[in-house]
Amino acid sequence: MSGTGTLGTALLVATLAVPLALLLACLSRRLRNNMPALLVLAPLPGLAAALLALGGMPLAFDQPQLGISLALDVPGALLLGVAALLWSVTGAYAFTDLRGKTNAARFSVCWLLTLTGSLGVFIVADLLGFYLFFALASLPAYGLIVHDDDDPAARRAGGVYMAFTVLSEAFLLLGFVLLAAGESHGSLQIRDVVAALPQSPWRDAALVFTVAGFALKIGTVPAHGWMPLTYAAAPIPAASVLSGAGVKAGVIGLIRFLPFDTAMPGAGEMLVVLGFFSAFYGVAIGITQANPKTVLAYSSVSQMGVIAAVLGMGLAAGDHSVALDTAFYAATHVLAKGALFLAVGVTAVTAARRLRPTLLLAAVLALGLGGLPLTGGALAKLAVKAPLGDGVVGLLANLSAVATTLLMLHFLQCLARTAAHEQQAPAGLAVPWQAMALASVAVPWLLYPFAGGNVADALALAALFDALWPVLIGAALALALRRWQNRLPPIPAGDIVEPAERAFSASYAVGSAMERADGWLRQWPAAGLSLLAIAVVLGAATLFGS
Amino acid sequence: MSAAILAGLTGAALVGLGLYGLLTDPHPLRKILAFNILGSGVFLLFGIIARKGAAAGFAADPVPQAMVITGIVVAFSATALAVTLLLRLFQETRRATLEPDAPAKTPDAGVDG
Amino acid sequence: MLAMALALATTGGGYLLVLAVIVPVIGMLLSLVVGGRHAERIAFALMPAGLGLALAIAIEVWVTGQPLVYILGGWPPPLGIALRADGFSAVMLVTAALVIAAAGYFARGGFATPPGVAEKRAPLAFWTLLQGLWAALAVVFLGGDLFNLYVALELLTFAAVPLVCLDGRPETLAAALRYLLFALFGSVLYLLGAALLYGTYGTLDIVLLADRTAAEPLVAPAVGFAAGLMTAGLLAKTALFPLHLWLPPAHANAPPPASAVLSALVVKASFFLIVRLWFDVMPGLASAAVTTLLAALGAAAILFGSVLALRQARLKLLIAYSTVAQIGYLFLMFPLAIGGHPWSAEAWSGGVMQTLSHAFAKAAMFLAAGVVYEQLGHDRIAELRGIGRAMPMAIFAFGLGGLSLMGLPPSGGFAAKWLLMQASVESGQWAWAVVMLVGGLLAGGYVYRVVAPALDRATVALKAPASRRREAVALALALGAVLLGFAPPEFFDLLQIGRPVAMAALR
Repeated sequence: MSGTGTLGTALLVATLAVPLALLLACLSRRLRNNMPALLVLAPLPGLAAALLALGGMPLAFDQPQLGISLALDVPGALLLGVAALLWSVTGAYAFTDLRGKTNAARFSVCWLLTLTGSLGVFIVADLLGFYLFFALASLPAYGLIVHDDDDPAARRAGGVYMAFTVLSEAFLLLGFVLLAAGESHGSLQIRDVVAALPQSPWRDAALVFTVAGFALKIGTVPAHGWMPLTYAAAPIPAASVLSGAGVKAGVIGLIRFLPFDTAMPGAGEMLVVLGFFSAFYGVAIGITQANPKTVLAYSSVSQMGVIAAVLGMGLAAGDHSVALDTAFYAATHVLAKGALFLAVGVTAVTAARRLRPTLLLAAVLALGLGGLPLTGGALAKLAVKAPLGDGVVGLLANLSAVATTLLMLHFLQCLARTAAHEQQAPAGLAVPWQAMALASVAVPWLLYPFAGGNVADALALAALFDALWPVLIGAALALALRRWQNRLPPIPAGDIVEPAERAFSASYAVGSAMERADGWLRQWPAAGLSLLAIAVVLGAATLFGS
Repeated sequence: MSAAILAGLTGAALVGLGLYGLLTDPHPLRKILAFNILGSGVFLLFGIIARKGAAAGFAADPVPQAMVITGIVVAFSATALAVTLLLRLFQETRRATLEPDAPAKTPDAGVDG
Repeated sequence: MLAMALALATTGGGYLLVLAVIVPVIGMLLSLVVGGRHAERIAFALMPAGLGLALAIAIEVWVTGQPLVYILGGWPPPLGIALRADGFSAVMLVTAALVIAAAGYFARGGFATPPGVAEKRAPLAFWTLLQGLWAALAVVFLGGDLFNLYVALELLTFAAVPLVCLDGRPETLAAALRYLLFALFGSVLYLLGAALLYGTYGTLDIVLLADRTAAEPLVAPAVGFAAGLMTAGLLAKTALFPLHLWLPPAHANAPPPASAVLSALVVKASFFLIVRLWFDVMPGLASAAVTTLLAALGAAAILFGSVLALRQARLKLLIAYSTVAQIGYLFLMFPLAIGGHPWSAEAWSGGVMQTLSHAFAKAAMFLAAGVVYEQLGHDRIAELRGIGRAMPMAIFAFGLGGLSLMGLPPSGGFAAKWLLMQASVESGQWAWAVVMLVGGLLAGGYVYRVVAPALDRATVALKAPASRRREAVALALALGAVLLGFAPPEFFDLLQIGRPVAMAALR
């Protein structure tokens, strides 16, 4: 018992310590240049910790003196395990992908930083630690996105990404301050502040800012603009881990910080509306895109919308079980989305005539997102069926599966068009892709029981049919889309980012007005008069203020 | 009119004159002189306060006197430093102005990024 | 009354305060005697001693849980002068010692006179002034008498102004003159206020004054005007918006070690006195109108300073305007920390933390900018692409400093912002929290403007070989700002020692 406890604690600490140790090793130039080969190892302690936690042992490591408090529950373990798996396999892909490229050392450093944050958010138990790891999962990713800094598109995407990220950090900071202020005993444990939230005098404001911060991270419309730009610009391994694992920092945030123990119908329903709007909006814009990476990004917008909706239903009903359900849903998405980005990378270096196996595997994963029977996606849909219910919301969920199928068939078409002329993918790329694809087919079945599901139920005829019909309708719609594709309006990737950028440029006028005002205030007579005025006003305020 | 009131009025007038000069006169040397006039006004005020302390039973309150002497030394050093800087500036540029970024306001001061 | 009696008698360890003042004075005088060739060696010999003394004072304050007091010459106030060190003074002393030592180590060799070369004035001036500045800072942090503090503040200005124009270029001379004249304007107002205060209460000793203002506040209108004049005068020296006319040219044109010391410490000295004035001398007079006015100026400083920093074309000007903005954060503590509310203690800690973390972060950034300037021969932001590869540690230092300015964890800046925002929410003064957030976003913008292109892969033409030592100094300071984010609870207990309300609660 205590033996497992010690092992668990050690693994929990190693989850963060190993990537940090590798980062320290990057101080040496020789090790830094060889770091891509070690990326595959960095997330392995996290994977082991997750397996141990799923084995039934709740892990915890509490060191208030050091300001560190770690804990791993089942929802956290589900996400930690698959995220660590994705980071590891994609690390192997990155090793081959980076060979001979410039900036490989910088990429490795940013990779390790992002990895630490991305795994850290799943295991950290205190407010400030969560904020730290959330920032770590977000900010250094800039270096992953802008890998090729001569590429103007990448630089633009990096800039937009940073703007959204910093905004998200600001909202979260305010949200967390409000959360902490609502906890009267001064505890900074996430568990305690969330428990105190329903009675907090700042309940609504705390909820709004915290959710807004996470919504920016998971790309809920209208905060989705950065995703298509970023994933299109980032190198394949970066896009894979960011869309698969990185975004889940926002999902775990919502899971951890929404007070599910108290029913909040108003807030919950708003989240449901926002979520489903994103779910359909993502598909609607996604089908107008031609770049497979952009299409996948819009699919992420859509899928994260579904997750937000499920969490909203749980919040509205005061149902704590959605935490586990969404964690499982998000875990299947980690695997499938991560693998599909690798498929995009492999396809680009595979000749069209050798493409069939890759496309076939990709099709299974892609349609799985739409809920194709016997895939991880179907299990995920089944897991969130109960909280969504059978009413309008349940119908919307089925329609979103239809829409996702449509989008994914569109993706496969776009993917097939990107095949190379005369090439064969190197094993260093193909093997990680195949491994990830197999994992995303098999692992959900292994995890399903831990998420409270029963595999036999999933194999029942009714369940299979329930999963099948949205896919069939989606396929029919995809045939129609083929015919009408040319009539769709051209929409730039990131749709609302361009108008936002224009509005931002307009704000420069404010800046130049402030510059003129500053120039005037810094004239000697103006500053001297200000000094006298401040003296007089302060004197008067002292005399008459009290 | 008692001596204290006369001294007070003189002090106030000096402070007013000094402030006016410090604010409005663009020439640094005149600003330095204005600072000295302003300072003299404040030192007069200290003198009156010493007298007031005398009214409370002391022969004369010694502390403000000590402060005035220290203040005069400080003001003298400040003036010396300011005049030295002004002289160096004049030697270097043949003009004396307080606008350090006036010549720098060339095109490259614009927005970037 | 017992505490009052304690504050008027020398305590154990009080001699440390005298030593902390005297050591840099000895260095300054010795340097003048032996000349520029050896001034550097003397400074380096005394810096560890000064740092050790500062640490000893901090430990003594922490262990005894009481402020240290030394009564000069055994003459108790109001006739004599007292030196006092509470938690805030102690941490400021340590910070000053660290930043000055770092700036000195950065400057090592930069002002050396090789054998056989005729001695120039700059080396002697730099090392003498640096130690003079240090002595003045020590008196400001320890002084217990408002007139004594006036003299210390003037000494500080006289040491700081020539540091701005060490190289004798016309623009630095003009910047220095502008700085000096505006600072003198401010000090005359302070002196006038001090005269009025002495005329009313018959003492300028902080403890005695605090006692008398508490007993009879506002006995005469002169007290109100004294407060206004003294605060305004100190604000002019702190360069709080809109009194910042002198700061950007002076800080941006000075030699890098001087810029670092000026931005990190010198503006903090007058801020320190404003805190003394309102928290120690006349807390009863700090009405909501006064504190709101100070914080409103601070908020304007944050917005203007940050936007102007975003629009600068030169790196050092960007950093200087960022100082204008960061000074604004300091003044947000006034409406939050005054009084004995439940949130006052954390606002106080937040304000002090901001003072310390900005000192380290800004010194690091100015030194990093100095490395950039030295190697490129310019600091135009538009032409900084790819310098990260040539001087990685300097850019890393700049980025870490920026992290603290933005208020991202782990850093002292984050801890400060967290505490101040917490206090502003708990006290219902939301506006300050929003201003802090906007300031953080804008800070993110100007740090990004520098760091993102610097990390690009581009070739840059270097004028001079990289000095790893100087880069390492900048990085060490930036790590100091980060380390402050890991400050244990005991550190915050130290900051509370001597805080008037905290002491009242203890009694």
